[in-house]
Amino acid sequence: MTATTYESGARAFVRLYSALFRLAIIEQFQYRAANYFYMIGMVTEPIIYLVVWSTVAEARGGDVGGLTPGAFAAYYIVWTLVRNMNIVFTPFGWEQRIREGQLSGQLVRPLHPIHYDIGYFAGWKIVVIVLWIPLAIVLSLIFQPELDPTVIQAAAFFVAIWGAYLIRTLLLWMLGMVTFWTTRITAAFEVFFAAELLLSGRLVPMRLMPDWVQTVAGYLPFESTFGFPITALVGPVTNEELIRGLLTQALWIGIGVAGVSIMWRRAVRNYTAVSG
Amino acid sequence: MRLALTFLRINVMNELQYRANFFLQVLESVVALATGLIVLSLIFAQTDALDGWTRPQLLAVLGVFTMVGGVIKFAIEPNMARIMSDIREGTFDYVLTKPVDSQLFVSVRQFRLWQLTDVIVGAAVVVWAVVTSDGSEQGSVTGGGVALGFFVSLFAGSLMIYCVWLILTTGAFWFVRMEMLEELFTGLYRAGQYPVGIYPGWLRAALTFLIPIGFAVTVPSEALTGRLTWSRLALAVGFVVLLMAVTRTVWSWGVRNYSGASA
Amino acid sequence: MVITVEQLNKTFEVPERDPGLKAAFSSLFNRKTRSVEAVADVNFSVAKGEIVGFLGPNGAGKTTTLKMLSGLLHPTSGRVEVLGHVPNKREREYLSRMTLVMGNRNQLQWDLPALDSFELTRAIYRLQEGAFLEQRDELIELLDLADLVNKPVRQLSLGERMKAEIANSLLHRPAVLFLDEPTLGLDVTMQRRIRGFLADYNARHGASIMLTSHYMADIEALCHRVIVIHEGQLLFDGALSALSQRFAAQKTIVVTLAEPADLGAYGEVVDESPTTVTLRVSRDDTAAVTGRLLAEQPVSDLTVVDPPIDDVIESVFEAGA
Repeated sequence: MTATTYESGARAFVRLYSALFRLAIIEQFQYRAANYFYMIGMVTEPIIYLVVWSTVAEARGGDVGGLTPGAFAAYYIVWTLVRNMNIVFTPFGWEQRIREGQLSGQLVRPLHPIHYDIGYFAGWKIVVIVLWIPLAIVLSLIFQPELDPTVIQAAAFFVAIWGAYLIRTLLLWMLGMVTFWTTRITAAFEVFFAAELLLSGRLVPMRLMPDWVQTVAGYLPFESTFGFPITALVGPVTNEELIRGLLTQALWIGIGVAGVSIMWRRAVRNYTAVSG
Repeated sequence: MRLALTFLRINVMNELQYRANFFLQVLESVVALATGLIVLSLIFAQTDALDGWTRPQLLAVLGVFTMVGGVIKFAIEPNMARIMSDIREGTFDYVLTKPVDSQLFVSVRQFRLWQLTDVIVGAAVVVWAVVTSDGSEQGSVTGGGVALGFFVSLFAGSLMIYCVWLILTTGAFWFVRMEMLEELFTGLYRAGQYPVGIYPGWLRAALTFLIPIGFAVTVPSEALTGRLTWSRLALAVGFVVLLMAVTRTVWSWGVRNYSGASA
Repeated sequence: MVITVEQLNKTFEVPERDPGLKAAFSSLFNRKTRSVEAVADVNFSVAKGEIVGFLGPNGAGKTTTLKMLSGLLHPTSGRVEVLGHVPNKREREYLSRMTLVMGNRNQLQWDLPALDSFELTRAIYRLQEGAFLEQRDELIELLDLADLVNKPVRQLSLGERMKAEIANSLLHRPAVLFLDEPTLGLDVTMQRRIRGFLADYNARHGASIMLTSHYMADIEALCHRVIVIHEGQLLFDGALSALSQRFAAQKTIVVTLAEPADLGAYGEVVDESPTTVTLRVSRDDTAAVTGRLLAEQPVSDLTVVDPPIDDVIESVFEAGA
């Protein structure tokens, strides 16, 4: 073939992502019932937290650390969307990917495989958000959230949920790639997820945590993937904190991209040295 | 009963080969317990009682929750998953060719031995909670009745969960794609980590009668914390008998539908 | 030369441990390994437009070699060059000009029509619309896919899926094709179709093809040249017809007689009807035996045939070099 049969990088990139979005949207829309059931199962988790903390707030005469039941409702309803943004390719899937040869298939094509995951799961998110809206309305009618974001907050939130998605994709990719060196890391995954649960703001808003925990969390990426996007929309938050939060996300994306590319290069070298 | 024991023996022998899974399961149980304890300490840093339940009492609930969760993962969930995969892959026919009661057969085929660590960890937490308990509430079940009430309600509650899950699984005879049932159930079961009394009325009713987590976790916890009344225990026993009968009917109805459809 | 392989070696370190918990534990710290030579000192080259059959029993090193050629494995030592590239560098220019098809692997999206997957492939290879559509429609026509590409892949039969899979692997019009068991598990008609297509594709675009297959029919129909590999070593590289000359120790003589006679003295009688006798004789004696038969017996017809290629290959591997 001659050189003119190829498209330029930028156009091909746009085409690649739109193709992946399209595939994901069509495919996942076929499974909308399964997606819905999955979401309903998932929603019980924040409802439990919400009920518990509302009960505590009422027992204390109206609020916990400045959070009223209405504020908790807002936090945990936005939580459901952010939780969905956090669903990315699981580190448990790598073993299967390697064993069943999907990885070999991807390696003989001229594209870094992370693009498949970023593009496909992002497309899936679009389906999820559409399905989420009615669920959010029902939850809001039941739990009466106090939510009054500014335009700036809403804009920051919109950027932050995608930042969260990218950071978590990169993090779990790095975690999953450990499978190239050893398959006995399920235990490490368990510990990682437990730490994430406690330090991300998924379990409780971070400001209910003891100070030292908040300090530790400040040095870790988890809050950028969960607590920050929620707080960006729910507040209370200053514009300065929004900017700082977004910059922190950008920093973690940078670290994640660097980490993934270094690990990936070594992983492929390892894989092509030993795979049978 | 003999059948169940034979299957249990086979499964135990199978799983004993995979010692790594045992350590993994212990880790998982410990991590889950640690998370539960951290949440309790966060709650009680802010308040003395959650809907009237003190810290040791909620600890008892956490223990029972862990125990019942272990029973579910040890015996109920593996069997239900097996039924669904059998129906999906057409191997359910083999079940019907066996000269034993089909409902009994499908309910005792699979056990995940290592999940019993959850039962043990949960039991340890229960003991700890009872020992550190600070005075009792005003239930009518007292003294020796506490132990009786605890075990009866624990058994009845586990049976109820089994019944409801089997009824839902029977749906797979009509709708083959039911894999997400497991997700749904595991998600809903988490609600049992707290006494059902804290949930709003409609949710409390659903968690008591539709998905009987209330009976399975809260009632035994009430026994432990001296809240249980004889009438509540009688209600639990009555409900489980009713539910068993319904399950039996739904199951045979489903099997009839299956053999009719695949003929 | 499109493919050049010189002194190619691949050695795997295979962990070895005794059963039991204690051994499992000690292996965490003190790993015992054993080297397995999957490919040893292999040399060959393939010219533009050539179709080469790659033969050998399971575990002979065929797939390992194909993986090294396609950049999935890097050699322990030796040199591999394909289209002027070193495959294991996995450069975009190289990956864009080759393809690897494995008979049991799936690149297509299971729940969607193949056409949707084709779009994705186009984006991955950055194909311009004109070139893409031309190649796509050609492949759809050659593989007779017109009715199939609009159905979700999960609804296709195994053979239909393989055809769509092949089309998807060739959309970027690769100059080199590595095919690992492309007809595995397919019925005879579908095998024949795929064979015909590969011959066609090769003729149209002058692509070089390396192919492994369990089905000798594939090899006989497509490959003038075969490379035989056994236990990692190259045993034979040459024309398919020369393979039987080189390895078949015996020939078969079919004699039609005017009247029945006992031919046991001439060779091993494999099959006998009153007037037709099939004899097996050693290759070297064939000429002499034929001469004697014609001189001494009432022969009305006589043919000498090579044994079936399957049997030849089998005897090669049994001899083990």
